[in-house]
Amino acid sequence: MTEIAEEFSTGTGNTRNVDARRHVPGEPSMWFFVIGDLIIFGVYFVSYMYYRGQDQDMFLQGHAKLNLNIGAVNTVVLVTSSLFVALGTAAARAGKAPDALRLFGIALACGAAFPLLKLFEYIPEITAGMTPGTNLFFMYYYVMTGMHLCHVLLGLVILCFVIRNLRGPAKPRISFVETGATYWHMVDIVWLVLFALLYLMR
Amino acid sequence: MKAYLRNPLTFVWALLTAVIVSSWAWLTALATDVRKATEETFATMGGAAHHLNTTITVVVLLAAAVKAQLVIWLFMEVRHAPTWLKATTSGWLVALFALLLGFYFAAQ
Repeated sequence: MTEIAEEFSTGTGNTRNVDARRHVPGEPSMWFFVIGDLIIFGVYFVSYMYYRGQDQDMFLQGHAKLNLNIGAVNTVVLVTSSLFVALGTAAARAGKAPDALRLFGIALACGAAFPLLKLFEYIPEITAGMTPGTNLFFMYYYVMTGMHLCHVLLGLVILCFVIRNLRGPAKPRISFVETGATYWHMVDIVWLVLFALLYLMR
Repeated sequence: MKAYLRNPLTFVWALLTAVIVSSWAWLTALATDVRKATEETFATMGGAAHHLNTTITVVVLLAAAVKAQLVIWLFMEVRHAPTWLKATTSGWLVALFALLLGFYFAAQ
């Protein structure tokens, strides 16, 4: 049996896959921003790795000073938030707006924890004298995580608009739900790379 | 609501979380060991630095690439997207990690 036939035969749960086949999730114009952002962050990441190679000792000292616990918790927070956005998008596509609303609400709550935790990470670092002026490692750390944080904050605003769209009374626009979801997943992907580059690598 | 959590995406999330938590636990244990071993230099160096370790770097960078690809493919639904989008995201991922590993090893 082909995959498509299987999806039809299994009914409700998988119908979204049929709809999604050969389909750009969300507005193509949002993909322009998402791919552009991924390339810009990619350039930051590669230049970070280049400068790290110029003075490995300084960067290794810098890595050791970061708070791995908050970094890891924030990674789990964003991945969890991404899961609920993906589940919410599936629910919206299946025409279950109240369920989608609840799932996006959970995603928003998880996402909102990220900047809060970041604050608990930044404040002790700054009061301990680790600022963007300390050295190149901390310059990269603050610029890259700061740029990412701006994307998180914008993503949270977009999630609020998706929730408003799902709340009605008009029928929710699926393409808008997908567009918001695409942006939010991009924020998650950038953080997964940042987490490895700043907190994990040696 | 529980029906939604029985989605295959939840298994993907569990896998991602397991990788994140295990790398967290692994590197925390490692940092504690290094700190114990370098107790004397700790005070004189103004804080212990991490030690250069290519194995850790390669493992965490490849794990990050796999995690990013899982999010792109399954959460972002690029798996069902047209070929141009699949090619663009995969091209970005491969180029990024090739350059990151390339610059890392060029400095060793």
